[in-house]
Amino acid sequence: MADNEEFISEFLIEASENLDQLDQDLVALEKNPHDPDRLASIFRTIHTIKGTCGFFGFTKLSNLSHHGEHLLGLLRDGKLHFDEQLASLLLELVDAIRTFLSAIESTGKEGDGAFPDLCQKLDATCLLANDAPNNQTEERLPSPSSSANQSDQPDDRTVSAPEERPVASTTSNDPTEADKLTPEVSHDILSRSESTRSSNTFDATIRVDVQLLDTIVDLVGELVLARNQLRTTATDEPALLDAVNRIHTVTGELQEVAMKTRMAPIDQLFNKFPRIVRDVAAACDKKVNLHIDGSDTELDRTLIEKIRDPLTHLIRNAIDHGIESKDMRSVTGKSTSGEISLRAFQESGQVTIEVSDDGAGISVDAVCKKAVEKGLVTDDAASTMSDERIFQFIFEPGFSTANAVTDISGRGVGMDVVRTNIESIGGTIDISSQRGVGTVVRVRIPLTLAIIPALIISSGGERLAIPQPYIQELVALRKNSTSHMIDGLEGAPVLRLRDRLIPVVYLDRWLGLRDWKKRPTSGTVVVVKVDNHEFGLVVDAVTTSENQHNHATETTGLWFIVVKSISSLLSPMGIYSGATVMGDGSVVLILDLRGITMAADIPALTRRAGDLQSTSEEPREVVQESSRYLVCETHNGHRVAVPLNQVQRLENFLESEIDPAADACFVKRNGELTQLIDPDRILHTSEELGKEPNGSSLVGIILPNELGNKALSVRRIIDVETGHGPLEKTATKRGLLGTLLVGGSATEVMDIVAASQWSEEIPLS
Amino acid sequence: MNSKVMNTPEETTDQKRCCTFLIENTCFAVEADNVTEVVQRGVINNVPLASPAISGLLNLRGRIVPAIDLRLFLEFPTVPPSIKQISLIVDVNNEWYCFLVDKLLDVKAYDPRQVTPPTNNSSSVLEGVLPDTDQLIHFLSPEKILKNLLDIRTESQSVG
Repeated sequence: MADNEEFISEFLIEASENLDQLDQDLVALEKNPHDPDRLASIFRTIHTIKGTCGFFGFTKLSNLSHHGEHLLGLLRDGKLHFDEQLASLLLELVDAIRTFLSAIESTGKEGDGAFPDLCQKLDATCLLANDAPNNQTEERLPSPSSSANQSDQPDDRTVSAPEERPVASTTSNDPTEADKLTPEVSHDILSRSESTRSSNTFDATIRVDVQLLDTIVDLVGELVLARNQLRTTATDEPALLDAVNRIHTVTGELQEVAMKTRMAPIDQLFNKFPRIVRDVAAACDKKVNLHIDGSDTELDRTLIEKIRDPLTHLIRNAIDHGIESKDMRSVTGKSTSGEISLRAFQESGQVTIEVSDDGAGISVDAVCKKAVEKGLVTDDAASTMSDERIFQFIFEPGFSTANAVTDISGRGVGMDVVRTNIESIGGTIDISSQRGVGTVVRVRIPLTLAIIPALIISSGGERLAIPQPYIQELVALRKNSTSHMIDGLEGAPVLRLRDRLIPVVYLDRWLGLRDWKKRPTSGTVVVVKVDNHEFGLVVDAVTTSENQHNHATETTGLWFIVVKSISSLLSPMGIYSGATVMGDGSVVLILDLRGITMAADIPALTRRAGDLQSTSEEPREVVQESSRYLVCETHNGHRVAVPLNQVQRLENFLESEIDPAADACFVKRNGELTQLIDPDRILHTSEELGKEPNGSSLVGIILPNELGNKALSVRRIIDVETGHGPLEKTATKRGLLGTLLVGGSATEVMDIVAASQWSEEIPLS
Repeated sequence: MNSKVMNTPEETTDQKRCCTFLIENTCFAVEADNVTEVVQRGVINNVPLASPAISGLLNLRGRIVPAIDLRLFLEFPTVPPSIKQISLIVDVNNEWYCFLVDKLLDVKAYDPRQVTPPTNNSSSVLEGVLPDTDQLIHFLSPEKILKNLLDIRTESQSVG
C-alpha cells in the first residue's frame, strides 16, 4: 500500500506538470489549430492520465478523461475543427482533472464531483462530429442546448457514475472497450510524440526536494571555509598539498554548482500566463495578445513562487481595467485586440518584471480624488505630488477607482495585497501610466540570491563588483599615452574618449581608500551608463580570474556572482546594492551605480550643446551656442573659451588704468565705466603661473550691450578655435557652460550670461 | 524576544540568561537568547565609507554579516594587537550581526528585575546595570546599537 501511495504521489506530480503543459498547448493550438505535434502532445497527456487512473482505480477521473480523449481523437482525425469554444471546453476539462487531482492529493480519494455537465458537453461535441463529419467549419458547440440538458438532468449526483451515462453513442460504458475503438491511432500518436520527446531537455531533469538543495548549499559553504583553513595550514607535505589543492578546486566548483541549483528561469511562472490571459480576456469579452519577453531570466526559485500571485493579479487588472472594451478601442482608433506585455530582466542585481498594457491608462485625477475622499491625503498636499507618488495610493488597502465591481477585479482588495507580497520579499512596485496610452506596472525584486554578471575591479586595495548591464566600455589609462587622457579642473575631471568628454570619478578617492598621492599612474576607466548619466569610474585594475578555479570567462572578464543582500545597516548608504562571496570566502561589495550617480552629482547626458541648460534660471536673450570660440588665458593661467558670437570686441588695458571702485573693478572706456569680470574668481581657479607684475597689459573682452557695460578681463588671447563634439556639462559651477574640445584640448566654456549676473551679485574685489 | 517561552524547567522565576564579555576590563552583557554563536574573529572585509565602528563584512558560512567593533563603538581605544577579538553573532530581527569583543566571560542566569536602568540616558545603548560578585555588568541592547549606528549616518549625511 505504501508503494501504491508513492506511485500515486509520483503520478500526481507528473500529471500536474503535464496539465500545465496542456494549458500552454491548448492556448497555442487556438492560435494555430493545425499543429499536429501539439495535438499529439495533448492527446498523449490525456491518454496517460486516463490509463494511470484506471490503474489506480480512480474510475470517475478515468471516465472523464476518456470522454476528453475521445473528443481529442475526433479532433486529430479531422472530424472536428478546433475553435475557441472547443478550446474553452478542453481547458474546462483540464481544470476538472485538476480538481480531481487535488482531491486525490488531499484525501487520497477522487472525491464526489464527477462533472456530468462537462462529460455531457464533451459527448455532445463528439456527436456533432458524427452528425456532420464533413462540415468542419460550421461546427459549433451548442452551448444553450447543453445548458438545457443540464437543467433537464433530474439529479446530477445520480448520473455521476459512469455506468449510468445516458449519452453514449460513441462512448462506451467501459473505458477499456473504448480503447479498442482507437487503438491504432493512439499508438501512432504515441510513437510520434515519443520520438520528439526524447530530444527534449525535459528528460534530463529530475525532481529533488528544494530543502535538500538548500541544505547542500549551506553545507558547501561550510566546506569552503574548512577548505580555506586547510590550505593555510597544509604547506609542508607535497602529497598533502596536492590533495588539498584538488579539494580546493573541487570545492570551488561544487559551490558554484550548488548555488546554481537554487536558480530557475522565470519561464516556469510565465508559462502559466497565456492561459490566464486567455481566460480573463474571454470573461471580459476582450481580445488580448500577450507578449512575453525575458522568460529565461533566472531568479531564485523561492522568489518565483512568491511573485506568482502578485503577477497574476497585475495581469488580471491589466486586462479588466487596463484594456478597454473592443468598442471603446475602435472609437479611440486602437486595434481591437489589446496588447499586454510581460517582460523580465535583470538590472543591477535586481530582477525587474514589467506588466504593461496599451489600454486606457489611469486617471491621475480620479486617483487623487479618491485618495482625498478616503482621507489618505489632503487636497493641497496632493496637488504638489508627482504622478508616481499619487499612483502609489492605488496600493492602499480598499482603494479602487473601478466604477463597476466585476468578477475579476475591482473590489478594491488586491493591489494592497500585491504590494504587501512584493514588499515581503524586499521588492518594490511602482506604476506609471499615461491616459489613453497605457499603464506600466514595474515590480522590482531585490537581488537576493539572483546571479548577475559583473566585473570585479580593484581600487586602493579593495575589490568591488560593478554590475555588467551598466558597463559601456573599459578604457586603459597608460602613463605616457595621450590617446586617452583625463583632464579638466580639479574636482571635475573628464575623460577624453574619441570625440566625447565623459566625467570621471576616481573610485579610490571617492571611497577614501588611500592617500591621493599614492595612487598609481596607470589604471582603467570603467565607463558606465545609468539611465541618462554616463561617467567613468577610475579603478586600478579589472580582475579577470581567481588564481585556481576560474569563475570568469577569460575573454570578457565577466564574473557570474551570486548576489546577497547586505544588512539594513549598510544599505541606506546608497553606495552598495549588495555583496557577493568570492571563491576564497572573502566578501566583495557590489557598487550601487544609481546611488553613486546621485552622490557624486553626475550631470545628465546632453545630446547637443544647444540642449544645455545653464544653472542660471534667468531667460536667455543671448544665443549661447556657437561653433567658434575665443580661447584665452586668464590671469591665473587657465585656458577658457568664450563663444565668439558673444564677444563684441577686444580692447587692451593697462593694469594701472583699472579703477577699484565700490568693491568692483572698473575701467574707463569712451567716457563710461565698464565693469571688469575676472573669470578666475568665477571659476575659483587657483593661481598656477603667478600673476604678471604690475603695469602689464590685460585684455578686456567687451560683452554684448544687452548684458550691461561689462567686460571679461583676461591675461591674453590665445586664438579663435572651432569647438568639436558635444559640450559636456561637467561641472555645476555657475558661470560655466561646460567643457568642450577646443583646439585639441578640453577647455572650459564660459557662460557669459551667468557670469555677468554673477558679477552683479558678488563684488569682484 | 522569545525569552519567556525559552524558560528552562528549573527556573522558577522569570530568569533570563545573558552572555557576558569584556571590553578593556569592563564587563558587558547581551541577552543570550539572541546570540547564535561565538567564533574567533575571522576575515572581515572592509566597507569603505561606512561608519568607523563598522569593521566590515564577514562571511559566515555564506551568510554576509556586518561586524561591529564594540571597542570603537563604545569609544574605547583601538584594539591592541595582543588581543584576539571574539565574534559574538547576534540575531536582531532575523538579521545577523557580529559584535567584536575582547574576551567572552560566561553565560549566566540573571533576574531581569535586578537590572537597574541607567540613571541618565547619556549612553543610549545601555539597558541597565546589574551588580555581580566583584563587578558591574553593563547590559547592552543590540537593537539600540544598530539604531545608533544608523542615526550617526543620517546625521553625517545631512551635514555633508
